[in-house]
Amino acid sequence: MVTEARRPPLPLLRNRPSFTTVGGLTLVALLIVWLIVNLVKTPSDFAEIFLIGLTTGCIYALVALGYTLVYGILQLINFAHGDVFMLGAMMSATVAASVFGLTSGQSGVVVWLAVFGTLIIAMAFCGTLNATIEFVAYRPLRNAPRLAPLITAIGVSFILQNVGLAWKGPNYIEVVDVLPKSQVFDIGGVTYTWNKLIVVLITVPVLILLVWLVERTRQGKAMRATAQDMDASAMMGINVNRTISFTFLIAGALAGAAGLLYALYVTNVRYDQGFQLGLIAFTAAVLGGVGNLPGAVLGAICIGLIQAFNEGLTWHAPGSDWTQSIVFAILILILVFRPEGLLGERTPEGG
Amino acid sequence: MTEGNGLMLELKDVHTFYGSIEALKGISIDVREGEIVTLIGANGAGKSTTLRSINGLNHPRRGSIRFEGRDITNASPHSVVKMGIAQSPEGRRLFPRMSVHENLEMGAFQRADRKGIREDMDRVFELFPRLQERRTQKAGTLSGGEQQMCAIGRALMARPKLLMLDEPSMGLAPIFVERIFETIVEVNKQGTTILLVEQNALMALDVASRGYVLETGTVALADEAKALRQNEQVRKTYLGED
Repeated sequence: MVTEARRPPLPLLRNRPSFTTVGGLTLVALLIVWLIVNLVKTPSDFAEIFLIGLTTGCIYALVALGYTLVYGILQLINFAHGDVFMLGAMMSATVAASVFGLTSGQSGVVVWLAVFGTLIIAMAFCGTLNATIEFVAYRPLRNAPRLAPLITAIGVSFILQNVGLAWKGPNYIEVVDVLPKSQVFDIGGVTYTWNKLIVVLITVPVLILLVWLVERTRQGKAMRATAQDMDASAMMGINVNRTISFTFLIAGALAGAAGLLYALYVTNVRYDQGFQLGLIAFTAAVLGGVGNLPGAVLGAICIGLIQAFNEGLTWHAPGSDWTQSIVFAILILILVFRPEGLLGERTPEGG
Repeated sequence: MTEGNGLMLELKDVHTFYGSIEALKGISIDVREGEIVTLIGANGAGKSTTLRSINGLNHPRRGSIRFEGRDITNASPHSVVKMGIAQSPEGRRLFPRMSVHENLEMGAFQRADRKGIREDMDRVFELFPRLQERRTQKAGTLSGGEQQMCAIGRALMARPKLLMLDEPSMGLAPIFVERIFETIVEVNKQGTTILLVEQNALMALDVASRGYVLETGTVALADEAKALRQNEQVRKTYLGED
C-alpha cells in the first residue's frame, strides 16, 4: 500500500516515433502483406507450407531449448550444442542401421520399436556427451571472465565437427528411410504425410515432459533457482555443480531427440550440419527470449515457418538461397529492436 | 558438542583470500549454543567473508572451522546446510521470479519431512504475517522490508541449528529495522543460535550476548555485548557517541 502511494505518475510520452521503430514496423507490415497475398493466390499451397514449417520448427525447438536451458543457468552460449545435435543424428543413423538392422522402405511394428530404441540411445548418448563437455571444458572456467568459456565453446564445436568428419567422412551419409510417407489427411488438396506427423508426435511429449520436469520436480526447482541466483541456491543447500550437470544432460538429451528426428526426416547427415542448424536454433532461442523455455519453442516455430514460406511460396519469395541471410537478418533485427525477445522480460539480472 | 561446553561453531586462525587479496588474516571466533553472537565492523572489515568461509562459498586457505565438533573447513555449501547452518545473505538474494511461497519452499530444499515443512511455513507466516498476504506475489516485486522478512523466513525454513544473518537491517526504514530485531530475539528464544553480522552496531549489541569487532580482516575486540557497549573505542568508532 505504501509502495503504491510512492509510485510517481507515469510521464506522458509524446515523443515522435524514432526512425528505427518506423523502419521495423514497415518491415513487419510488408511481411504481413506478402503473406496475405500469397494466401489469397494459392491457399492450399500456403496451408501445406505452413504445416511443413511447423514440422521443421519442432526440430528447431528441441535444439533451441538446449541453448536456452544452458544460457539460463550459466549465461553461456554453448556453441558446441549444434554439433552435439549433429553427432546425435550420426549416432541415430548408425544405431538404426547397424544395431536395429533397419533398411529403407521397411515397415511394421518392428520399425516403431527400433525407432523408439534409437531415440533412447541417441538421447542418452547426447546427454552424456553434453554433460561431459561441461565437466571437462566449462566447469574449470566457472569463475573465469565470461569470454573464456565462450571461446572454449567454439573450440569444442570445432572438435566435435572434426570428430564427425573423422567418423563419417566429408560427404553426406544416407540414413535409412523408414518413416512412411503415406497421407494422414488430404483436405481440399492440402496433404499431410505421416513422416511429418511423427516428428510432431515425438516432439510434443518430449516438450511436455520437459515442462513437467522444470516446473514440478525437485531437480527442476533446483534448476530454476540456480538460474536465478547461483550463490543463494548454494546457501539453500542445492548442489549447484550437480544441477548444472543435470541441465547439460537434459539439453543434450533434447539435442539427441532432435538428431534422431532430423536424421529420419531429412534422411541425410553431414559433419557440418550441426553448425548450420545450431545457428538457426540459436536465432530461434534469441527470437523467443534467450533463457525463456516457451519463448524458445515459439521462436523455433516462427523460424521454421519463415524458412518454409521463404522456400515454398511462389509469389515474390526470395527462395532457399536466401534462407540463411534472412534468418540472420532476423537475429540482427531482434537484437536491435527487442533484445529481450518475443516473450522475454527485461530482468535486472538479465541486463 | 563433544567439548561439552555447548560450543557450536569454532573458527581457529582462519585465513581467507579473494584471489591474491587476503580478506581474513587469521580470525578466531566461537559461537556457543543458544547465543546471539554479533560481528560488527566497518565495510570491508571481513564480516561477510567470515560468513562465506563458514558456509563453504569461500574456503579458507589456512585455519580450521568446526561445527558441532565436525571439521567443515572445506565442506561444500550444500553439505554445510545439511549439517544445520542456514543463512540470510547480504542484499537478501531472493529468487526474484519465484513467488514468496516458492522462495520459502527453496529454504527447505534439503528437507523431506512434508509435515515439518508445513509447520515451519506456518511459523514463518506467524512471525511475518505480511508474507502470508503476499505469498503468491513474485519475490522481486516485494518492498525492501518484505524482502528481508522473506529472506529470514527462507533461512528459517531449513530449520537450522545456527542461523547466520548478514546485514538484515540494511536499507530498511527504522520501523522495519525494529521489527526485524524483535524477530531475531524471538527466533533465538525459540531455540535457534544466531550469528549476526551488522553495521548497525547499536541495535546488534542490544540483542546480542557477545560480540566481535572486526578490523581489516582481524578480530580487534572480543567481549560480552554489554562490555562492548561501554568500551570507549567502540562507542566512538561504531556507535557514533562521543
